[in-house]
Amino acid sequence: MAQKKAAHSEGFEREALVHLDTLYNVALRLTGNAADAEDLVQETVLKAYRAWDMYERGTNCRAWLVTILRNTFINQFRKQSKKPASVQFDSVEDVSIFESVQDRDPAGSFFRHIVDEEVTRAIQELPEDFRVAVVLSDVEGLSYGEIAEILGVPVGTVKSRLFRGRRRLQRRLYEYALEMGYIG
Amino acid sequence: MMTGWWLRRKRNRIKEAEAGRLDCAGIMERLYEYIDEELDDPRLVSAIRDHLEKCKVCFPQYEFEKAFLRFLAQRGANGAPPRLRRRIFQRLLEEESQS
Ligand SMILES: [Zn+2]
Repeated sequence: MAQKKAAHSEGFEREALVHLDTLYNVALRLTGNAADAEDLVQETVLKAYRAWDMYERGTNCRAWLVTILRNTFINQFRKQSKKPASVQFDSVEDVSIFESVQDRDPAGSFFRHIVDEEVTRAIQELPEDFRVAVVLSDVEGLSYGEIAEILGVPVGTVKSRLFRGRRRLQRRLYEYALEMGYIG
Repeated sequence: MMTGWWLRRKRNRIKEAEAGRLDCAGIMERLYEYIDEELDDPRLVSAIRDHLEKCKVCFPQYEFEKAFLRFLAQRGANGAPPRLRRRIFQRLLEEESQS
């Protein structure tokens, strides 16, 4: 009995706990603050631990964990009485900033001057749907298919959220870089 | 079943047509999928690669988008704080000793 229990937690540590950084990063982007993010990760890990026997070995453990995290966030942490307003269509935001910078900084070296806090803030300002897609794809390196599975949406939806989320993020960072004089 | 098969065939035809005549606007539309290696049609992939190699308009934007995504991968991550790690291990030990 004790042996079985030890094997249980060993497997969990080896397969699930290696994804703690991913969980924390996604939690931080969802909640917007470190204290809530830590609570959300702890809650997620405990749920996953208790459900570990249900986890199908050999399937995508990281996607499984992020799905639990996201559902926990929706059920327990999103305290607002209603879902955030659905994203307004604003096509200006979706235009690439490349045209504006191609003469002065085509390689985008201004990105390097932007401080971490500003990167965090810009990501945080994205609408939630876009933010989650961008973080899972561009920071955590998940595939479109994995993200679609986690969010329960078609791959086409992931593509368009990524497209628009990236463009908006670029624009926000570009505007900041202009203000700071990083673009000549 | 029939519908699925028919849709797939239709989609494939669209893909073929697309690969045949890709203009700059078409490239820009698929650029992220190309960079993310999410295009499943190898003909489309090579058509985009060929276009990018030759096109003075698209190539610099391709490089710019890649630089942006590299930047995000490097700067967007936040590792779990050691405090949280300790807290979770502690909590799991408690959980184990129960049950
Ligand atoms: Zn072109």
